[in-house]
Amino acid sequence: MSFYEKLMKLDRRWIYLTVAIAVVIPVLVPFKVPVYVTPEAKAVYDFVENTKSGEIIFLAIDYDPNAMAELQPMARAIMRQAFSKNVKLLISALSQNGPGMAEQLISQISKEYNKKNGVDYVYLGYKPYFGIVILAMGQNFRIPFPADYYGTPLDSLPMMDGVRNYDDVKGIISIVGGNIAEAWINYANGRYKAKVFMGVTGVMTADYYPFLQSGQLSGLLGGLKGASEYERLAKQEGVATEGMSIQTIAHIVVIGFIVLGNVGFFMSKRKKSKENI
Amino acid sequence: MRRPPFFKFFYLFFSSALLFSFYSLAQAQEPSSPAWFDKNRVNVLLVLVLFFAFVLYFINRAQKGKSLFVRRIPGLDAIEEAVGRATEMGKPILYISGIEDMDNLQTVASMIILGNVAEMVAAYEVPLLVPVCQPFVVTVAEESVKQGYAKAGKPEAYNPNNVRFLTSEQFAYASGVNGIMLREKPAANFMFGSFYAESLLMAETGLSTGAIQVAGTANIHQLPFFVVACDFTLIGEELFAASAYLSKEPKLLGSLKGSDLAKLLIMIILILGVILETTGVTKFTSWFFVQ
Amino acid sequence: MVTDLNSAIWNTLAAFLTFCIFSFLYKDNPFYKIAEHIVVGVSAGYFAVLLYWDGLVPKLWDPIVKQGKWYYLIPGLLGVMMLTRFSKRLSWISRFSISFYMGIATGVAVPLYIQNYVIRQLSSTMLPVHFKNPTGFFNLLIVIGVLCALIYFFFSKEHKGAMGSAAKVGIWTLMIGFGAGFGLTVMGRVSLLIDRVIFLKNYFTSIFGHIL
Repeated sequence: MSFYEKLMKLDRRWIYLTVAIAVVIPVLVPFKVPVYVTPEAKAVYDFVENTKSGEIIFLAIDYDPNAMAELQPMARAIMRQAFSKNVKLLISALSQNGPGMAEQLISQISKEYNKKNGVDYVYLGYKPYFGIVILAMGQNFRIPFPADYYGTPLDSLPMMDGVRNYDDVKGIISIVGGNIAEAWINYANGRYKAKVFMGVTGVMTADYYPFLQSGQLSGLLGGLKGASEYERLAKQEGVATEGMSIQTIAHIVVIGFIVLGNVGFFMSKRKKSKENI
Repeated sequence: MRRPPFFKFFYLFFSSALLFSFYSLAQAQEPSSPAWFDKNRVNVLLVLVLFFAFVLYFINRAQKGKSLFVRRIPGLDAIEEAVGRATEMGKPILYISGIEDMDNLQTVASMIILGNVAEMVAAYEVPLLVPVCQPFVVTVAEESVKQGYAKAGKPEAYNPNNVRFLTSEQFAYASGVNGIMLREKPAANFMFGSFYAESLLMAETGLSTGAIQVAGTANIHQLPFFVVACDFTLIGEELFAASAYLSKEPKLLGSLKGSDLAKLLIMIILILGVILETTGVTKFTSWFFVQ
Repeated sequence: MVTDLNSAIWNTLAAFLTFCIFSFLYKDNPFYKIAEHIVVGVSAGYFAVLLYWDGLVPKLWDPIVKQGKWYYLIPGLLGVMMLTRFSKRLSWISRFSISFYMGIATGVAVPLYIQNYVIRQLSSTMLPVHFKNPTGFFNLLIVIGVLCALIYFFFSKEHKGAMGSAAKVGIWTLMIGFGAGFGLTVMGRVSLLIDRVIFLKNYFTSIFGHIL
């Protein structure tokens, strides 16, 4: 078997091993890479930065633990920036496996900044059928959420005084890992003309650039890269920034394999056509 | 088949609910207060009415028996070639209909294609293996395959054991299919329907066994994986077009032709809009912007 | 990470399950199967409980029993009618609920999809094309890509001649898009791996820190 044919028949487990080594080594021997900020990530940061103290932002933590790796750093950085500016947060978790995970994050960050539930933030929790919930919140938050996650009626919470629907919040930042993103664009922006910013997983990022271009989204954070850009802007270097150096090495390895695979493919094809002649 | 009398109630129910929703959606002179009609969305209403008119017109034409031209989908030639190859090699054909239930349109389209594949396969007496992910889909798949064999004049060749339910669990289904691919070594794998993360697992295993693979899905995220691992891929709407082409069902054909006409209109409007924007006329584009 | 016995137990379990899932990369094995079944069972159980306490109780039970809103029985009845789907004899009853739900869902979704996915996208694709600066050139690329991709999905005419060439450009445009999507998918999957490796590093560091 020629070298190129061996290349084409390479056992995939060698590739897994190489990628694993490419990820483990930078974790054990960390180094930094520069993070370049894109305009769409800056738009999200500027929105939070320009929100005045006491104003409310709706933060939708709409992801499951399986997307936590990419999206939690974004949510953490946004919450920290908001709380540091005394911006109030109205938080929901419309992904079915996410409410407990979101509650953990909120408790952790609110303790860091000494923020009180009901005064500085309200956590609405989860309700099924996210499309209907997002639609109903455009009329009144109390329709799908008569009480918060802890069972306290919204009307008894000081922060919710005079806050009826999307018109009463500065904008919506949705950190989302599934098709809930479409519902925010269709219903919150399309129906109620709310300003929507989005943080999505890497897989979904390409799908949502058309909405950014058309103005339906006002800002976009894409995957771990987007999270690292936000961390850089907010000067909160964390997991996402740490991950960029590891990602760089892993991507170089993957690109190497793609190049090798293509070389193997074309060379073995060329060899076969020569043999046929 | 004579429809039961209470069928009319379903239409009434459905239509009432639909009208109620249109009404409720037409609310809002301001974003969050009710109103009878939203003048800012007249353009949406016009486009909707036009689109519905196109589709209904072509469905009507198809039902009257008028011929509606649909070009041949290249992927269908690949299916015939794959069936021929399997016959030469004396190996079975594997058909995977996705992991969603019959309420997903892609599964419906897959069942139509399965019927046609079964008809092709019956003529050559090649075994057709159909592992299924959802219990309800098993009965539909059995029916499709049986009818395919009957149309080919070989009803006795149909083997009910070849259409089997594996599991509803996504990755367990993928490993079950991989097991079939590695044991039975089919000459051709057809994957039509709705797939998620298990798509590459199955396509890659099929590639490693040397089978011809033809796939089709409307799930955009899975298309890159099928494109790299399969010999031919039906992209998005081609899956539905293939099912309309094969079945000649009036509603499917009519919908396809209606959406084609809508696409043509969109292209014309786009070209006009670009020309006007380039010459500095922005009023045309602003009509499409919902205030 | 590991601060006490409780966190040590749960983090050890998490690390063990991580290794069980990774073992699939070598070969399918009972450890992988155990981890997969745990994940499926836990998420199904969690969702069932969530659906009960965040769906059924506040949306049906409390309004009827505690607030006396008897008209909530009507949607409750529609919901129960859905369950008749599992009976061959009575499945026709579920058609009422399905029709109602599909009617509402279609009526709400279709106009908004047309507005957001067709009309808004159409208006944002009507871009001025020129060669005065790179923006005008990129606008031209966008317009050509959109038109050719639409031509590729046009089924009423054969792809021959000029139309065939345009369809070829369309499929190239799609493939470039798929390539971008594929690259972003690789980035997303590598991010998940990075998170797990960092977790394992932190776990072993804190465990060995405590032991030593």
